[in-house]
Amino acid sequence: MKRRLLLLLTLFVIAAFAIAACGGEPAAEEPAAEEPAAEEPAAEEPAAEEPAEEPMGEDLGLAAPLDGMSWEEVVAAADGMEVNWWMWGGSDTINAFVNEYMANELKEQYNITLNQVPVAGPTEFINQVLGEKDAGVDDAGAVDIMWINGENFRTMKEADLLYGPFAEVVPSGMHYDWTDASIANDFGYPVDGYEIPWSGAQVVLEYDTEKVEPLADMGALVEWVKENPGLFTYPAPPDFTGSVWVRMMCYYATGGYEQFLGPFNQELFDEKFPACWDLLNELEPFLWREGETYPEGQPANIDMFANGEVLYRMTYGPGDAQTRIDNGTYPETVRTFVLEDGTIANTNYISVAYNAANLPAAVVVANFIADPETQYQRVVQLKSLVPVDVTTLDADMAAKYASVELGPAVLGLDVLGPHKLPELSADWLVAIENGWIENVLQK
Amino acid sequence: MLPEFETEIEEPSAVAIESEEERRSRTGRIFSYAVMILIIVVILAPIIPIFIWAFSGRWFYPDLLPEEFSLRAIKYIFSPASKAAEAVLKGGSIALIATLLSLIVGIPAGRAIGLHDFRGKKLVLFLILAPVIVPGLSVLMGIHVAFIRFGLAGTVGGVTLAHLIATTPYVVMVMSSVFSNYDPEFEEQARTLGANVRKTFVHVTFPVIFPGVLVAGMFAFIISWGQYIVTLLISGGKVITVPLLLVNFASGADKPVTAALALLFLAPSIVIILITSKYLTGESAALGGFGA
Amino acid sequence: MEKSIPASGIISKTLRFEMFDELRERLHVPMLLLPAMVVIIVLFMGGLIMGLMQSFGYLPMIGKTDFNLNGYINILTDESFLQSLAVTSWIGFASTITATILAIVTALVLRQSMRGKRITTFIYQLNVPVPHIVGAIGIIFLFSQSGLLSRCTTQFGLTQAPADFPPMIYDKYSIGIIMEYVWKTMAFTGVILLAVLQGLGEDYEDVARTLGANGWQRLRYVIIPLLMPGILRSSILVFAFAFGAFEIPFLLGQRYPRALPVLSYEYYHDVDLGFRQEAMATSMIIAGLITILILIYMKLTETYVRSD
Repeated sequence: MKRRLLLLLTLFVIAAFAIAACGGEPAAEEPAAEEPAAEEPAAEEPAAEEPAEEPMGEDLGLAAPLDGMSWEEVVAAADGMEVNWWMWGGSDTINAFVNEYMANELKEQYNITLNQVPVAGPTEFINQVLGEKDAGVDDAGAVDIMWINGENFRTMKEADLLYGPFAEVVPSGMHYDWTDASIANDFGYPVDGYEIPWSGAQVVLEYDTEKVEPLADMGALVEWVKENPGLFTYPAPPDFTGSVWVRMMCYYATGGYEQFLGPFNQELFDEKFPACWDLLNELEPFLWREGETYPEGQPANIDMFANGEVLYRMTYGPGDAQTRIDNGTYPETVRTFVLEDGTIANTNYISVAYNAANLPAAVVVANFIADPETQYQRVVQLKSLVPVDVTTLDADMAAKYASVELGPAVLGLDVLGPHKLPELSADWLVAIENGWIENVLQK
Repeated sequence: MLPEFETEIEEPSAVAIESEEERRSRTGRIFSYAVMILIIVVILAPIIPIFIWAFSGRWFYPDLLPEEFSLRAIKYIFSPASKAAEAVLKGGSIALIATLLSLIVGIPAGRAIGLHDFRGKKLVLFLILAPVIVPGLSVLMGIHVAFIRFGLAGTVGGVTLAHLIATTPYVVMVMSSVFSNYDPEFEEQARTLGANVRKTFVHVTFPVIFPGVLVAGMFAFIISWGQYIVTLLISGGKVITVPLLLVNFASGADKPVTAALALLFLAPSIVIILITSKYLTGESAALGGFGA
Repeated sequence: MEKSIPASGIISKTLRFEMFDELRERLHVPMLLLPAMVVIIVLFMGGLIMGLMQSFGYLPMIGKTDFNLNGYINILTDESFLQSLAVTSWIGFASTITATILAIVTALVLRQSMRGKRITTFIYQLNVPVPHIVGAIGIIFLFSQSGLLSRCTTQFGLTQAPADFPPMIYDKYSIGIIMEYVWKTMAFTGVILLAVLQGLGEDYEDVARTLGANGWQRLRYVIIPLLMPGILRSSILVFAFAFGAFEIPFLLGQRYPRALPVLSYEYYHDVDLGFRQEAMATSMIIAGLITILILIYMKLTETYVRSD
């Protein structure tokens, strides 16, 4: 009797788990809706309407297979879909923003289920889409949208792994200045409508006011490191923070970035960059652990900074320090500064996989991400830097943006803006990262 | 050697012998106590900070105790933002199914090995043991391509299958040791009395091997629950289980959350050790936990 | 063990059973083994073989058909591979030897009946189901330069700043990694040895004692040989794990040179996918080395192993 009860209970538990497991799997079955005629949501006028061009029925100009559709039709097609957003999962604050605010809004406004797929780095989704393309999986891809930029964007665009163009025609597209080089070009490579902005980034240095002072420029920093051995380091490239730091030191060591703007030039690289390796090698013995190892990624570096193992930390996120002060992982006395010779800044984007299983929904979500309201929430909740062009905003929205309270550890746009340095094109990045590994790490 | 031998035969210096042996056994006892205390300290040392960190707020070097305690990390774990609930559910279901499958294939195999001698037994034993010795990564990288081809990569089903590689050998080993102590006479008697195969199994065999099945199943669960690189590689990070979440956080940026997740990860293991400690000691116990 | 045919049956029934049973008899054991064997052969051996083929650049399934040794040549001539090999070997041997010695010592201590033995043994066993990842996190919390131990030493004035504390994680001697392996596997081996010792009892040693053997001699000529099968079994598993596991060096290891399993994963995930062959070659070498070393080890200790 007892045994039977136990058996029944076990079966029940198993069934419950099995249902949960199967329910949790992303729905890969819904193919992109091709025919606008098939979608007739009750609220909309029947498509049998003759070509009297009403704004609602206007063709957005999206690429196939969404061509000929209006925005309303795309939204209608997206209803009930689930979108898989493959993105870097290393920031719990961004994760929270995505899984709470964004997921809730998308569900309420569009009845779209947002499924965040956190990955350690872009290679995961590049491999995924590439593998699917090789295997002929052209419309049921596991990846819908991706948080992407730089060389990864270029790799995917050149391999025809992206859907587009879409970014300039969707409703949010008008709120970005596509004539601004740092938006229309992703690390020197033209965006061309294949990705839409998601966030801005600019390098700042964090420091604890109780322990040290801000440094004026890179020269001052180099001197400080030499005078204070063992208290500074940077994450090993190809971690993107470590990589940008190496690039900034190279800008300094080679006499400026201007000479490297434009496509990659091997001769120029071989001629100029040894000066950078020399500087980094010269600095190595004065770094943390005498440069025998570098932190694997940002988490270790963050922890070291929080505990005073290193006294300065570089980061692409001007709002990171404040966020950490707020959640207790940084001391309250931490502040940030930029170097007078400038720090590198760039834009991060969202792109759509060419074979996204949930294509209309993917486009709707990408649009939602770039929407000024969402971006405003980013500023408020994450203290992010956002690339929105505030001149395109209506009065209410503009007022909201103007009145945000950031926090003492966050530098204002008035400080950050004038100190921007551009990124180099992706080929330079790869060469610099490999150069660092060969000439500095392995020496 | 000789002096000891001689003193054992000689009676007169009884007092002298006594104190020498006494002294030796006293130092021996002190040494033993020291070792035992050391064992307790060493075993518990890495675990205790995890408990403290899970409930801490601000805690910086060089403080020995947190400036303030807080439930932030715990609350975060239970919020949807952390994906911890999903990871537990996914990881738990995969583990459950992998356990069931391993048991289904492992119990008969264990019976064959434990009860019978047959040609090729050595080869079979080698094949059973090999997945334990050969590192999972080598096998996984090879099979990943096939999984992609058959649409298994990135799916819960694919991950479950991959977990079988790790869990099946342990189940077979535990069951074979259970069956080697098993007496099939009872079964024969039941059959003689007219019981059919099913009845025999349900009423005779299963009750006897049940403790072993329980242990094997629980170990299979723990092994699958704790798989990291298998799940990461096969699912490309798409299937999130607790160890994946944990490693994402583990390099230290948010120690309280890392610690809280570690406790979450640890919980089933502790429950299982408590349940199974009643049923076993020694080799089988160690073996199962080894895979964790 | 042969299933005996019941002699006390009705004659005709016995005859029918006889024919049936013979067939079932022949197939009985293979059928029992079949499901498990299918799982292991398809998934494990299949994976291994496909890895081997891919390391030679040959996998028709995805259209690769040039068979070459480039993967192996590239890594064997690469300095970073050789350095990784050195680091991984160091980790493997140091962990196994240390864990085994400590396990023997602790097992010998714990088998005595003394006060506190029960609770110590319980805590000892508690460590076994703790996952390695958790152990690694514990090690980070304790031994990082701003970790608990370092804070203790600062409180006692032995150190002034995190940098004064010796580096034990992400360090060039892989101390943290070795500590984690020893922490976990010492208990694993110790539990096995303890069971063996308890099963054996003290008889052999008493005999040796009466023959005049002192402590060290009893250890060397009686206890160790008796423990050898257990030591052999567990140290093989420990070494295979310490050499081939991914998680711990990934969490606790230095950036360069890294342990072989982490290196092979790095190759596998390289952006241009250009290092697939090298990744497979590396993982094949890892598997091959482990197998060879284990065979050597078994050969060397053959004299100690009694047949089970």
